[in-house]
Amino acid sequence: MLQFDPVQLPDSSHALRDEIRQFLAANMPSGHRPNSDFLSGHNPQFSELLGTHGYICMNIPVEYGGGGRSFFDRYVVAEELLAAGAPVSAHWFSDRQFAPVLMQIGTEQQRKKYLPDMCAGKSYFSIGMSEPNSGSDLAAIRTSATKVDGGWRVNGTKLWTTYAHLNHYMIALVRTAPVSENRHHGMSQLLIDLHDDSVDIRPIKNMGGDEDFNEVVFNDTYVPDEDVIGEIGNGWNQCTAELGYERSGSERFLSTFRVYIEFLKLFTDPPNDLQAAAIGRIASNIMALRRMSLSVVGMLEAGKMPSIEAALVKELGNNFEKIMPEIARLAAPLDADKTEFNRTYRESILLSPSTTLRGGTREILRGVIARGLGLR
Amino acid sequence: MSSELQQIMVESTERIFSDTVDKKLLDAVESGEFPQQLWKLICENGFHLLATTDSGADLADAFAVLRVAGRYAVPIPLAEVLLGNRWLDGSDDNLISIGERSGDRTLTVPWAQQAARCLAVTPDNRVFEISDYQSTSGRNIAFEPRDTLSGNFTEIKTDDDAYELMALSRLSLASGALNRVLELTIQYVGEREQFGRPIAKFQAVQHNLAVAAAEVAAATRACDGAVEAIGEERFVLEVAAGKGRVGEAITVVTEIVHQLHGAMGFTHEHQLHHFTRRLWSWREEFGGESYWQSRLGHHLHSLGADSVWDFIASAK
Repeated sequence: MLQFDPVQLPDSSHALRDEIRQFLAANMPSGHRPNSDFLSGHNPQFSELLGTHGYICMNIPVEYGGGGRSFFDRYVVAEELLAAGAPVSAHWFSDRQFAPVLMQIGTEQQRKKYLPDMCAGKSYFSIGMSEPNSGSDLAAIRTSATKVDGGWRVNGTKLWTTYAHLNHYMIALVRTAPVSENRHHGMSQLLIDLHDDSVDIRPIKNMGGDEDFNEVVFNDTYVPDEDVIGEIGNGWNQCTAELGYERSGSERFLSTFRVYIEFLKLFTDPPNDLQAAAIGRIASNIMALRRMSLSVVGMLEAGKMPSIEAALVKELGNNFEKIMPEIARLAAPLDADKTEFNRTYRESILLSPSTTLRGGTREILRGVIARGLGLR
Repeated sequence: MSSELQQIMVESTERIFSDTVDKKLLDAVESGEFPQQLWKLICENGFHLLATTDSGADLADAFAVLRVAGRYAVPIPLAEVLLGNRWLDGSDDNLISIGERSGDRTLTVPWAQQAARCLAVTPDNRVFEISDYQSTSGRNIAFEPRDTLSGNFTEIKTDDDAYELMALSRLSLASGALNRVLELTIQYVGEREQFGRPIAKFQAVQHNLAVAAAEVAAATRACDGAVEAIGEERFVLEVAAGKGRVGEAITVVTEIVHQLHGAMGFTHEHQLHHFTRRLWSWREEFGGESYWQSRLGHHLHSLGADSVWDFIASAK
């Protein structure tokens, strides 16, 4: 059965929370319109400023430029940034999963080379999993890496790669051996420089008019042996383990949080009981999700790889962040000035189809949970 | 009590309830028979006095035991006995029951006919003992006795947040029962075969169970949050959030587990309804979702939009 043990934030987190709030009050970029979605603001200046103040890679050891603190401290900073609607997209993947991955399975050389800039908020990573014919069926990837002297030649196409056009590196899942009886064998993770001339990156406009995801084509791209992440042939297991970091965080239920704040601001007069119930219902859902998310942080801190529990947090959180703006819209007072509410609501609904797709579709997550329940 | 001792206590209650509470007992109780043997066993083990101030246990321990009671649909007003003995400084084996006071009546009092003493709580956390009462018998959705009493009210002094503790008892029981119905369903879909294989192998079944499992996990953590806040200023708000969230989970989970049990789970012969009907009752008792959600919502509105995140993030 799935385990969500009670977890309490360490006392150190209170001072840290005050500190990051003061930082945000003083340093939120001017002209930035807050939105709690973690992909809604790619702002290198702001990421560097966060890095300078030690708010990125807090859970990475000091010797590599990190904060030498716990997963809990990283969690506190991350949730404060999202709740405030700060632009965090640039460093998000580095901070959330790739720095911990390098700590876990990277070589000493890789840690020394990449972690300091990641920790400083200067080095941005993209996730390289999906492909044109490999969405939920990740084992169907065709991008291949062929062994050459001193490294690998990569050919193929990655798709839906968020911020590949603005980020520095991709950690890509590629085939290093042909498909065998076990489809999960023969895959490996490579760290690829997105600025290499052999890499073509084409932004794809989404339905909301934004360009944040891309098609990335590798044309005989050379990757030296020292940029192989983990073990050759172990890519599938490594990706699966990585999902514990990727799926459990507060970005899986706070994407639409700003809608809630603007909803509350509509009540210049006290809400009636049914409107108050809508306000309370939303809060109670966030509170429960946050406790579940913290249970997973507790497991990460203990060195476990809670990929199934993480899938469950994402499944529940994504569904909630989709329905929450609807609860708010329907309970909003009829005669209020809804300018700001409508702005955040519109951003949220235009984003909403992606939340149950990115990072693992609802259908895949439910399958993962079912496996955790022993059904498959 | 330390978490280790609490664990031991939870395990021993688990043993006793799993040995004694079965479908046969639940059916007998439903037909109106008070479970005398079970009551005796509870008293012999001292569970009924666990929440008294000199028991050596914390209130949190008592609520941990209530989760176990929920897991087995224990057909005894254990929450009422635990908190009643606390508020009356009880030390004997008298059955105490508690209902919610509404005007000059007290509603939904479990087993009032069998109880030696009956208490009433109000949403503003006052506790009264009812004497010289007349009772009208009734039943909840689980066919458990829930009587309506009118009589004389004498206030009993307590520093406890009495109403909120009663609401917490319902959400603790529900948390236990939700986990149980999920387990029963996982077991059932692994055994039941259709189209030549266990129905657990069908994706539609797997996905519905995944949804149910997520709701059960949310309910469990919501209950944890309320228990952890006992004695703190935000206790009432954690109970409000918990009762609301667990209520939502009950709605989703009971629908799914019945659907997956098919017609068999709709029969009286099956045990599932002993849990689901109690869940539907507990969802309403001592404040339903809209009552508690609106209490939380009014409070959050009074804090102001810019303070709501701080409230959420201040949970321990």
